[in-house]
Amino acid sequence: MSLRKHLNLLFMLMLVLAVACGGGKEVVDEEELGEDDQALQTAAAENTGGASSGTPAATTAAVADAATLAGMVKFEGAAAKMPAMQMAADPFCASQHPTPQPDEEVVVGPGGELANVIVYVKNAPAGAPNTTPAVLDQRGCKYIPHVTAVQVGQPIQIKNSDNTLHNVHAMPKTNSQFNEGQPVKDMVSTKKFDKVEMEPFRIKCDVHGWMKSYMAVLPHSYHSVSQMNGQFSIANLPPGNYTLVAWHEKYGQQEQQVTVGPKEQKQVTFTFKG
Amino acid sequence: MKPQEPIPHNYPMRKLNLIFALTSLGLLATTGAMVFYDYVRGWKWFQLEFNRIVEERINEQLSVVNDAERKRQLAALEKENREGQIEVARNRNAYVEAQKDLESWEGRHYAADQDYRFAKALLDAKRYEVEAALTQHRGDLREKRREYDELTERVNRLNLVLQQVTRDRDGAAARVERFLTRINEVEERRKEITTDIDLLNKQLRAVTMKSPNNAILNAPMLDFINPTLKIDQVVLNDLFIEMNYMSVPRVDRCQTCHRAIDRPGFESKKEAERLLTELRRNLDKNLIEPSRRADAEERVALLEKTVAAKQDILNPFRTHPNLDMFVGSSSPHPLLEYGCTVCHRGQDRATEFGRAGHTPMSKRMENRWRKVKFPLFPGNWDYKKRNWGYQVNPFLDTPMYPREHSEAGCVKCHAGQVDVEGVERINKATHMVELLGCHACHKINNWRFTDLQKPGPALDGIAEKTTPEWAFRWIASPQRFRSTTRMPAFFYQRNMIGPSVPAAERAQNIKYQDAEIHSIVTYLFSKSTRRQWPAGPAGDAGRGKELVESIGCMGCHIAQDAVKDEKSGAMRVARRDDFPNERHFGFNLTGVGTKTNPNWVFNWVKNPKAYDPQAPMPSLRLSDQEAADVTSYLMALQKPRFMEQPIRPPDVQAVRELTKGYLINTMTDQDAEARLRKMPLRAQLEFLGQRSIEKYGCYSCHDIRGFEGLKPIGTELTTEGSKNMHLFDFGFFGDATHTHGYKAEDGKEEHVLHTVPSWIYNKVRSPRVYDDRRTKPYNDKLKMPNFYLSPDEAQMITSVILGLTKEKVGENRLAARDPRSRQAEEGRKLISQNNCRACHIVNRRGRAIAPLIADENFLPPDLTPQGERAQSPWLFNFLKDPTVMKVRPWMRVRMPTFQFTDQQAATLVAGFAAEGNEQQFDTHQFLTPSAQNVAIGREVFNMLRCQQCHSLTQVDPANPPIPNVADTQSLAPNLTLSKIRLRHDWVADWIRRPDEMIPGTRMPTNFPRDPQTGGFQSPLAMAMDSPQFAAQKAALLPYFENEEALKKTMGDAVALTNYMRDYIWSIGIDRMRAAGAVQTPLRPVPTQPQPSTPRAPASLETRLR
Repeated sequence: MSLRKHLNLLFMLMLVLAVACGGGKEVVDEEELGEDDQALQTAAAENTGGASSGTPAATTAAVADAATLAGMVKFEGAAAKMPAMQMAADPFCASQHPTPQPDEEVVVGPGGELANVIVYVKNAPAGAPNTTPAVLDQRGCKYIPHVTAVQVGQPIQIKNSDNTLHNVHAMPKTNSQFNEGQPVKDMVSTKKFDKVEMEPFRIKCDVHGWMKSYMAVLPHSYHSVSQMNGQFSIANLPPGNYTLVAWHEKYGQQEQQVTVGPKEQKQVTFTFKG
Repeated sequence: MKPQEPIPHNYPMRKLNLIFALTSLGLLATTGAMVFYDYVRGWKWFQLEFNRIVEERINEQLSVVNDAERKRQLAALEKENREGQIEVARNRNAYVEAQKDLESWEGRHYAADQDYRFAKALLDAKRYEVEAALTQHRGDLREKRREYDELTERVNRLNLVLQQVTRDRDGAAARVERFLTRINEVEERRKEITTDIDLLNKQLRAVTMKSPNNAILNAPMLDFINPTLKIDQVVLNDLFIEMNYMSVPRVDRCQTCHRAIDRPGFESKKEAERLLTELRRNLDKNLIEPSRRADAEERVALLEKTVAAKQDILNPFRTHPNLDMFVGSSSPHPLLEYGCTVCHRGQDRATEFGRAGHTPMSKRMENRWRKVKFPLFPGNWDYKKRNWGYQVNPFLDTPMYPREHSEAGCVKCHAGQVDVEGVERINKATHMVELLGCHACHKINNWRFTDLQKPGPALDGIAEKTTPEWAFRWIASPQRFRSTTRMPAFFYQRNMIGPSVPAAERAQNIKYQDAEIHSIVTYLFSKSTRRQWPAGPAGDAGRGKELVESIGCMGCHIAQDAVKDEKSGAMRVARRDDFPNERHFGFNLTGVGTKTNPNWVFNWVKNPKAYDPQAPMPSLRLSDQEAADVTSYLMALQKPRFMEQPIRPPDVQAVRELTKGYLINTMTDQDAEARLRKMPLRAQLEFLGQRSIEKYGCYSCHDIRGFEGLKPIGTELTTEGSKNMHLFDFGFFGDATHTHGYKAEDGKEEHVLHTVPSWIYNKVRSPRVYDDRRTKPYNDKLKMPNFYLSPDEAQMITSVILGLTKEKVGENRLAARDPRSRQAEEGRKLISQNNCRACHIVNRRGRAIAPLIADENFLPPDLTPQGERAQSPWLFNFLKDPTVMKVRPWMRVRMPTFQFTDQQAATLVAGFAAEGNEQQFDTHQFLTPSAQNVAIGREVFNMLRCQQCHSLTQVDPANPPIPNVADTQSLAPNLTLSKIRLRHDWVADWIRRPDEMIPGTRMPTNFPRDPQTGGFQSPLAMAMDSPQFAAQKAALLPYFENEEALKKTMGDAVALTNYMRDYIWSIGIDRMRAAGAVQTPLRPVPTQPQPSTPRAPASLETRLR
């Protein structure tokens, strides 16, 4: 071939090479990504992209066939003898109670009913925000009620009905702590907790060491505290399969599985042993 | 013309032409390749990718902003605009008239203005003429003056004309404007609505690559003019990097690829969640100023979006974590002032991934980085797969710190501080270095590690304290006696008896090691003092146990060598990291009974400094009986099995060989032999002992008489982090021997990479590992003792050492340079050296004793606000002698008498005052508040019922009555002590915000913060009207003009707290006992011994003959 042909051939070759090598399409082959957190997160995020955002909305459609969970909390065995609260240090407190008050850690009714047990639904969906304020009263140098459960964001009105200094020292682990003094009789402080805290935390008074109260912050309003007769009742529960938890400050926590059908009035019993 | 004859050439032209053509093409290709490689740079791909991400986001935002509502508003405005224009059109004639009018007035204004200015210019010229005539005494002065006056008059007249014309012109302009008002208004409203859209569009234009403008600016040959893709650098003039024997200012180009490093909005999900929690907590607690709340809430919304996004942003486009501390423009380390490499190291001026010195965290990561799709093609790395085409660069002096050591960079500038705010790991690491005493053997010449006490006890009185049998077994293996001890093991390590040592050598090494230990013990005991310590009364071990567990011994000591494993629940041997560092300050008390004798223990706990004036242990002011009780408890802590281990007697031959080895250094072989024949075994042992103490450097950590002034035995570490990798001895680990790992003493497999961090890590983890399989003579083997560090501890120490570099930092960049900070730091150093954090919280950290005290009311106080809180004279007195005032008499834990020198106490007091930003001396103690303030304060005090917890009865500060714990008034400080103890203004501040100063305090918040204004709410504002306070109201009313003023003051928290402070001041006592007025009785120092030649204990002596 002549020189020209050689050159032409060379030129064609270079052209072909230029086109071929100039950044071709990437062929994506999945190799192992290892544990570098960034790579893992891209992989993980792609896998679980949609899953993390789901909270099934229990909307108003379920209210029509809402069920009620009611029942009793029983206590078996010998109830621990509660010492009396020593109120001598504050003359006002002592004056409020002619007879000494037993410590409220364990309150057992005459027929073996356990009071002050928080019963709540563990895996119910988050409910509509509750604007009815919960009330925590300090009367006679005791917290009334001794144990409360509130919803996230629900306003809590803390009242001082006594003519003495009380301070409300709440010690939650997830929410922010606070310690407010209430020197004025009948003054009300309104607080709320913004994070769910299923493990009940203590609220105490630094002036009066015997005063104790427990509070739990739940994402919904399906909770109830057992009364002196051991009765509790959770209303407006949409039908479904739930885990019911009962918590007592001394005797710990118990769980039960319940299934409620539409408009059912289910009875549940918890038994704590001393 | 006739065709030319081909010209004959000497060379084959065709071939030459071909060669020329080919080489030209080659040159063209090379030039093309050059342009290509010069133009197509890796960092451009990243900038393009980042622009694409930002473009996506802006488009998203635009679509959100451009929603239906906005469109409707714009459409309405358009309609109004059109209507306005129709109006103008309707009045067109008038409009045109007005415009013409305006034009004519404009013309007249111009003319008048010009006339005025010309006249003024002429006036200036005339002024010159007048002054010239005056100075030159010319005849026409008077004429000139007259002309000047005329001209002045003319100028004034023209000025008036101009003003009038201007006024008329403005009127005409206003008339024209009126026609256009409506349109202008609409235009303004439209602009208001579309500001953010316009802004977004502007951002979009800057970033998008689709616009032809950007394409041209970035085109291959034209991008020298003003490209949008360019290298981004910051020049740091006072931060230097070592480059080939020169220190040059750093030029950091990292943000060329890491585009969003200082922009919030590109955080990783984990970081976004953390920021969200923090911001939400601050918003809850109303800690954010009301003016900044809106910004904070916006940021919260943005972060929520990041957390909810499907995918994480990958590096290099991530925001730097903790933007408020690093890199952010309002942080202490803004990017433009500090760059990146001063903390992360790496090659500052590089713009390629490999050249910059990125360091993989593990071998696996390195393997992933090595992959690359097209090796020759620059850039467009598959960054999502983290394939970078990485190769280890052996010539890089300063590779980046691996991620687990990224805090090593703090040491460069913060070596003048004891604790660095905001970072935890490096603080823990430096405290561990201080605790384990690395600074004692290895000199580290920066402030943090100088002037520190030696980590080991003085050995001058060892014979008084223990026995040679115990000492031998201890030196042989300290961990067998105390698993959490700080003393490292010098003997029987892996290079002496490990699996890689041949059997014959192993046997010989054991003999040598035995001989050395025997010699050290013999030497120490022969040179020891032998004072007689008198015995104490009989004690009760049960009471002693109670004392030890309650008065605070457990803050500095632990007394157990077994812990319950969290995972399995079984008991296992305790490790150092099972307990906080503060509790390792004193020695683990297990086995104390085996180690020492009751007389010594009794006298030690009564007055430690009688035994050794440098002893770190303070005196707990124990009475004789208490000390006796504690002694009997401690003596019951025995470890008999330890003493049952057999001790091999010293091998005579081995002792001889070792001694001869030393003698030969200074004399010939024959002389050495002669000398040896004259030395009995005991003398040889003593000689060898002295040499062995020098060899192993015991004097670096222990005070031994006769060894003062010797240089520390270890390598100086002041610039160890800058040492070149090739200067480290990796022993037989590496590619040549195919050995890359080993088994550490605790059984874990470790890898040795040929990098500086890996060398240091493995060295501190198993110090003799680089001797594995090597043949060395006995005296040349590695000598560093083994601390049995866990992998975590070793990593922390490696971080510190990596941070010790020789890279210079400008003086003005060093942290804590100003005098106030220096004072605070000196105080903090003393706090660290005396282990105050064992019992107290200092600067929000500490109180190691807290888990051992069940009732939180009995915890030692939180000293975080101590500088602002305590008066310096009181603090000085208290530190010198804590019995001058018992502020919290209900507590069982005792504040010890540290027997500070005046200088030490003064340093501490100055340190606290500097931290609290207060001065040390003031006259507030002598203030007398006005009677009115006191009276008002008293009423407020009663209304808030403070006396329900705080006592107001005057007491003797040194001997207050022990309170009854059930009494509510027993657990709060007596307020009469405030005047001499607390600072005047702090008292009011404390009453206002106790929860902010000491979180979790028992003092209630009486004045909660107002979320709207950030101020304080007062509960007494509406309380005035309640019948409960009728008496107080009646008492207060005379001091105010009327009820309104009273109510107003009752709502003002600051005023109320000031009144209360004045009342507290008025009831305070004025005096307390001075420190040193009464000597707390310490045991007298015992008499000196009678015998002049010390005798060795009998048991050892019998074996030596």
